[in-house]
Amino acid sequence: MSLNDPQWGKRGGGGSGGPPDLDEIWRNVNRKINDLFGRKPGGSGDGDQGGGGGGLRAPQLPLSGVGILVALVVLVWLASGFYIVDEGRRGVVTRFGKYTETTLPGPRWHLPFPVETAELVDFSQVKTIEIGYRNSPKNKVDKEALMLTDDENIIDIQFAVQYNIKSAEDYLFTVRKPDLIVAFVAQTAMGEVVGKAKMDFALYEGREQIAKSAEKLMQEMLDRYKTGIYVQKVTLQNVQPPDKVQAAFDDAVKAGQDRERFRNEGQAYANEVVPRARGNASRLLEEANGYKAEVVQRAEGDASRFRQILVEYAKAPGVTRERLYLDMMQSVVGNTSKVLVDQKAGNSLLYLPLDKLIQQSGAAAAAAAAAAAPVTVVDGTPSRAPAAAPPEPAATLDAGRSRDALRARERTGDSR
Amino acid sequence: MKATMPILALVVAALLVASQSLYTVDQRQYAIRFQLGEIIETQAQAGLYTKVPLMQNIKYYDKRVLLLDNAEPDRITTSEKKPLLVDFFVLWRIVDVKQYYISVQGDEEAARRRLSQTVRSNLAEEINKRTVHDAISAERDKIMHTTRLKADTDAKTIGVEIVDVRLRRVELPPDVTGPVYARMESERRRVANELRSEGQAESEKIRADADRQRVVILADAYRESQKTKGDGDARASAIYAQAYGVNPEFYAFYRSLEAYKGTFRNKGDMMVLDPSSEFFRYFKNSGGAAAAKGAGK
Repeated sequence: MSLNDPQWGKRGGGGSGGPPDLDEIWRNVNRKINDLFGRKPGGSGDGDQGGGGGGLRAPQLPLSGVGILVALVVLVWLASGFYIVDEGRRGVVTRFGKYTETTLPGPRWHLPFPVETAELVDFSQVKTIEIGYRNSPKNKVDKEALMLTDDENIIDIQFAVQYNIKSAEDYLFTVRKPDLIVAFVAQTAMGEVVGKAKMDFALYEGREQIAKSAEKLMQEMLDRYKTGIYVQKVTLQNVQPPDKVQAAFDDAVKAGQDRERFRNEGQAYANEVVPRARGNASRLLEEANGYKAEVVQRAEGDASRFRQILVEYAKAPGVTRERLYLDMMQSVVGNTSKVLVDQKAGNSLLYLPLDKLIQQSGAAAAAAAAAAAPVTVVDGTPSRAPAAAPPEPAATLDAGRSRDALRARERTGDSR
Repeated sequence: MKATMPILALVVAALLVASQSLYTVDQRQYAIRFQLGEIIETQAQAGLYTKVPLMQNIKYYDKRVLLLDNAEPDRITTSEKKPLLVDFFVLWRIVDVKQYYISVQGDEEAARRRLSQTVRSNLAEEINKRTVHDAISAERDKIMHTTRLKADTDAKTIGVEIVDVRLRRVELPPDVTGPVYARMESERRRVANELRSEGQAESEKIRADADRQRVVILADAYRESQKTKGDGDARASAIYAQAYGVNPEFYAFYRSLEAYKGTFRNKGDMMVLDPSSEFFRYFKNSGGAAAAKGAGK
């Protein structure tokens, strides 16, 4: 009834906004009046007087001022039945408290006050309720946000429900405080859905699914109660572990990244080692190929050389043999230091300090590389010694004087 | 003017009578018509009704689904003796308004109290039989369903239907959440350690595999290279054998000469020579090959 009051204020506007629809409205008015009289002749005491009075006295209008007054009153009374349903709203009309119709946006008329009343309902306006927080997800309400999961862990969940009205009459007539019930239903639905989910599922991969399930469950309940409410969407604002254990969860996430890092490091090592080994392997193979080629080529070279010499040798074996031998000897003796010992002449002790000789000849060789090879001739015969001795600083030794000569002699014997 | 006065009076009188003898019942309401305190009729249908003025009076009751909210969550013990805080709400509605009026004198507060007690005791009974896990998860809807049925039977006696009983929140009391948090924390730590060591193990595995590959690759290559070298050596040997086999004696001579040359090529080498060797056979004696031969021995 209280909602009826705005209608009185709006009736002027209804009159001016109505012109295009006036015919229809007038027909509507007639229909409604007839309808009313036809159906409830006993209960239309007021209507009878108003309508009947207007009809009876119209012809006598000029006769009585009272008639005009009554007609005016009736007119005003009838006009009070005009109301406008704004876009996005619905008008719900009740006649003597009983629901008769729901009207769409536009100028409308109902039987005036005691008979019919109209209530306007925000139909398509989306309403939002927030569970677990107020205004911003930072402003948490722990009492609503903490929920138990299937594995008896606690998660912190904040969500919003957006809904609108799908049936204005159900919304008005079936449930008291439907908006409060939506909030309660949202909590129980989410509690049930989360209670059936494992914590990891709720926290990570299953968020979408949880919102969907809660949405479905809510709609089922709201339909069962005939609230006339349509749940558009359940949006999870935030699903996280409770603040008290947040650090441990963060660390677990970090650990996951650490695992990746370790793996990558290992892979990096592998990527370094294996190709390098492959490189080394190719080097080995190439070297082997090189060696093979070298050996074979050398063998062929050597063989070829030998064969050629052999051909010449076959022609004159004696001379070739002698020549080859002498060439070799010349090359060998010419390139080395040498000591010539005539054993037959000197049968006594011979001192031959080989180590010193080698040292000196080595030094001499180093000092005068250009000079001819030092030749030290040790002769057992004293008379021959000066003749054989060269002018170089190379030691000329008197074989007879040293007591150690015996050892040297043995050596010369060995070397022979 | 004289004619209008009685008409006006008539109108006013008619309105007065109408207001006393007519009443409407709203879509949202039940009405009970009393006559001198006795219930004569109940109306569930909305609309316009008549009554006898002065003798009869009307009382209205809500026909809609009503919400009963539990002010404070109940502490209920489960079958494993753990406490749970259970917060529920009940949706109910009057179905038999006469019974309702008789039972609770139409006092909604009294009805609420009665319903609340019934539901609470039934709920406690249901939860007492179950474990925490069942209460939270597996049998949550069963608890609600059974409680509703039981409470509904009782509510019928006061003319009320229990539309639904819902657990709004089921949670652990603050004094037992500590261990739960500790468990969650340790579980996360376990997961973190597992992840880390898994990572290290995998890393080690990859490294070991790489090392193995390296060794295998190198060994393979060594095998191949030795084979190749051997191949080369064999072919070289064959070539030598083929060439030298033509005259082994000359080869021995020729090769020996090469070897001597190769051996004594350093100035530091010291040779102690006997002049009676073949090389010196002309050294002391320009003609004597025979003498030299004798000396050589």
